[in-house]
Amino acid sequence: MVEEQHIGSILLADCGTVMTKAVLLEQVSGRYRFVAYGEAPTTVEYPWSDMSAGIRHAVEQMSQFTGRRFLDASGDIIFPQVSMQQGVDAFAATVSASQPLQVVLGGVVRELSVASAERAAAGTYSTVKAILTSDGQGYLNEEARVRVIHKAKPDVICIAGGVEAGAVSPVLNLVETAKLACLLMDEGVRPKLLYAGNSRLRQQVVKIVGKQAELRVADNVRPTRSEEDLLSTQAALDKVYVQDKMGRLPGIDVVSGWSAVTPTPTARAISRLVEYLWHLGNHTHGVLGVDVGAANTTVVATFDGQPFTTICADLGITFGGERLIQTQGAETITRWLPEPMSAGEAHGALINKAIHPTSVPQEPGESWLDQALAREAIRTALTIARPGWRPGVAQPYAHLLPLCDTIVVSGGVLAHAPRPGHAALTILDALEPIGVSTLVLDTYGLVPALGNVAAIKPLAAVEALDGGALVNLATVVAPVGRARSGETVLKVHVTYDDGSNFSVEAGYGDLEVLPLPPGQQAVLELRPTRNFDVGLGGPGKAGKRRVSGGLAGLIIDARGRPLRLPGSDQERQRQIQQWLWDVGG
Amino acid sequence: MYHPPETQVTPLTTVRRERMLPVPGTMQVRIGDRVEPTQVVARANVPGDFYILPAARTLGIAASRLKRHMRVKPGERVQRDQVIARRGRIFAHTVKSPTDGMVALVGGGRVLIEANPTPLDLRAYIYGTVSNVLPPYGVVIETPGAVIQGAWGAGGESIGVLKCLVTGPDEPLEAQMIDPSCNGTILVGGIGLGDAPLERAQQLQVRGIVVGSLSPELISRTKELPFPIIVTEGLGEIPMSRPIFRLLTTNAGREASISGRVQTRWGIVRPEIVIPLPAETVPPAKTDPGMPLEVGSRVRLVRAPHIGTAGTVVALPGHARRIQTGAVVYGAEVDLGQEAPVFVPLANLEVLR
Repeated sequence: MVEEQHIGSILLADCGTVMTKAVLLEQVSGRYRFVAYGEAPTTVEYPWSDMSAGIRHAVEQMSQFTGRRFLDASGDIIFPQVSMQQGVDAFAATVSASQPLQVVLGGVVRELSVASAERAAAGTYSTVKAILTSDGQGYLNEEARVRVIHKAKPDVICIAGGVEAGAVSPVLNLVETAKLACLLMDEGVRPKLLYAGNSRLRQQVVKIVGKQAELRVADNVRPTRSEEDLLSTQAALDKVYVQDKMGRLPGIDVVSGWSAVTPTPTARAISRLVEYLWHLGNHTHGVLGVDVGAANTTVVATFDGQPFTTICADLGITFGGERLIQTQGAETITRWLPEPMSAGEAHGALINKAIHPTSVPQEPGESWLDQALAREAIRTALTIARPGWRPGVAQPYAHLLPLCDTIVVSGGVLAHAPRPGHAALTILDALEPIGVSTLVLDTYGLVPALGNVAAIKPLAAVEALDGGALVNLATVVAPVGRARSGETVLKVHVTYDDGSNFSVEAGYGDLEVLPLPPGQQAVLELRPTRNFDVGLGGPGKAGKRRVSGGLAGLIIDARGRPLRLPGSDQERQRQIQQWLWDVGG
Repeated sequence: MYHPPETQVTPLTTVRRERMLPVPGTMQVRIGDRVEPTQVVARANVPGDFYILPAARTLGIAASRLKRHMRVKPGERVQRDQVIARRGRIFAHTVKSPTDGMVALVGGGRVLIEANPTPLDLRAYIYGTVSNVLPPYGVVIETPGAVIQGAWGAGGESIGVLKCLVTGPDEPLEAQMIDPSCNGTILVGGIGLGDAPLERAQQLQVRGIVVGSLSPELISRTKELPFPIIVTEGLGEIPMSRPIFRLLTTNAGREASISGRVQTRWGIVRPEIVIPLPAETVPPAKTDPGMPLEVGSRVRLVRAPHIGTAGTVVALPGHARRIQTGAVVYGAEVDLGQEAPVFVPLANLEVLR
């Protein structure tokens, strides 16, 4: 019998687009703990062109703090751990630094097969460069379609369409077009063709494509009008991403050589952790995870044990602002600012951020702009993610976020927010959670690492989580309903563990922050008024919940759902400023 | 140990530039050849446009019958308006080629025509010597010279004599400064650039503009200009940092090559100014990337309130400090030539080399 290798220390790295983080998990008194952290700019670009250099820099920083040697003279990680001063037993990496997969989607009906294919593509790091449909306004003749594909220079053309035993000729026409487009490209740059449509046409598709393109086949992404099946298409796209994008990052061979497991896409690791938390917590509602990175915004959710992943590639705090301005207008971002800022100023500031991607705001105005961008990035990602979720009983209101017991928030803009209240308010404005939720903050960017380690050494993930690797940001109570401004909508009685207690009444429109620091717990008695629902079984239903404290305390968000901002600039800025003060900003 | 991003502001080094074709081609120079910026160093034929003609439908026949009505075969060359398919004799239905090119494919009732390729001449861009030839894609050219990397840019490549029109890095470039003597030159300004000087520069056919900053409202305008623009610091109202201004003014009157191309990700390309210099002993091009930040490092500050300033690191405190936003960050104390050094987050420093 092979004895399982003892793993007393695990070094984990996450190579982001802009920053690379290194984390050390180690057994302390028999339990895994998060013990050290280092961060350095990512080095996939010139002049480094070697992702392993960034990991070394982050690890060197950890060495400075801990006095421990992790690297040998040639810059390789020292295995195994030989003493408390040298080496580690295992290493694993997550990666989001590679260019997203460039995808052209084709399908029969924009709202059906194409929408499903779009959601499947959002399950991996991808950018949809163009959409070809056979219906309505999107219809183009063959030459125009080929031109669209040519201009997009995709890595993959994904053809969906036709429910099972449904449409034939529009689907085959799209395949013909895709083949023709491939034919016009040099072999070295030809996209792969992924067929995820009517499965009865597979043989005909294989025949049409012949040897003109590399064809892959997935299950029909939209087998019926009311059903979608994203997993097979997501897996096929993810495989191409890992092979053709992640696998070609400069230096990835060195990083792979340090690890017994191949590097994992960061979003996959985040999704794994959120799913893990759902199972650990015995949740009746959902668990949600939001990661706002420099170049990508990821929203992952688990409902009834089923994970859902949505990645908005090219929509992050550093690389994403310009795209948001182009697609949605600068006002979408500036409306979240407590001070006036012209569209031009915002545009300039966002470009400057992209020019100097590692930089951080030094003035409050720039910090608010980052948080405003984070709000819109999350809101955009959510609009793509939500139609694909199957929340079941966790979804009492179709137009609102499902009930989520735990919301894990990650990303530099939130983790390094000047004050915890800023991070909490950003999340409340972006997600608009309902009922009672615990916001958990990933202060050290550990979520990908913990998700990754959950696959290698699940015990290490559990113990590190128990040991406080993530910190509670706040517990939020958000009643749902409509009332006149100031009208009482919720009575809250708070009883602390030491027996002290107090009561508050929340008026419609209020944002109340009550004291409940990290490490403390309290019992909340929630009594909503007749038309208000706090997730305890429907409007007017009262009940008790035991909740934990957080860096930003206990927040009663009675601003209403959906959140409405005042229309006039001045009034809105005054309101935003008030909310910032309310949360301690 | 922190490895900050770097910006090249180098008075003298060996400048090495790869000049590469997008498609395979033929080399026009050999190792050791002296080249001028406008000299063609490599040549290629870029595939032309394509046309998909629904020929069977035009002729009113079944797709399977198209081949028998074709007047040309796949692989044959055709001329614009040449009949490529025909049905009938007197009142004939015809399909004509929309371009000079080649019939690439006939099938499915359609004819695919590829237009003739377009010749592409790749020019040297800088004065120098061909140090390597990399057939079939390109060459490497070297020259001793000064290099300045910009932060943002627009437009392609250009050459011209550097002409400094301002007296300091915080002086704006105004329209009235641009007179007929600016024709054919690359203008150097200080802080900001407005619409009027852009208009004037275009009228007087300058070859390029280098400024510290640019109003974001002018971004779309710069993309239509016939000459490149290089912004050394960023968008907004930011003075040009002094080391860059000094190097540009020192070299005023010399011929420079500039490129406004910028790509912030996936193969970063930064705008640049290359000033070839006569020199006998030249420091070799720096090949080792990213030295760690040290006391004494020459740095540029990239975020407000100090954006556009440069100085020297005088201390690297071991503890994080709270900054104005409320965030707690590691940083460096930088001497900006003011009364006291300023504390700047490490993330907001760029090493000048």
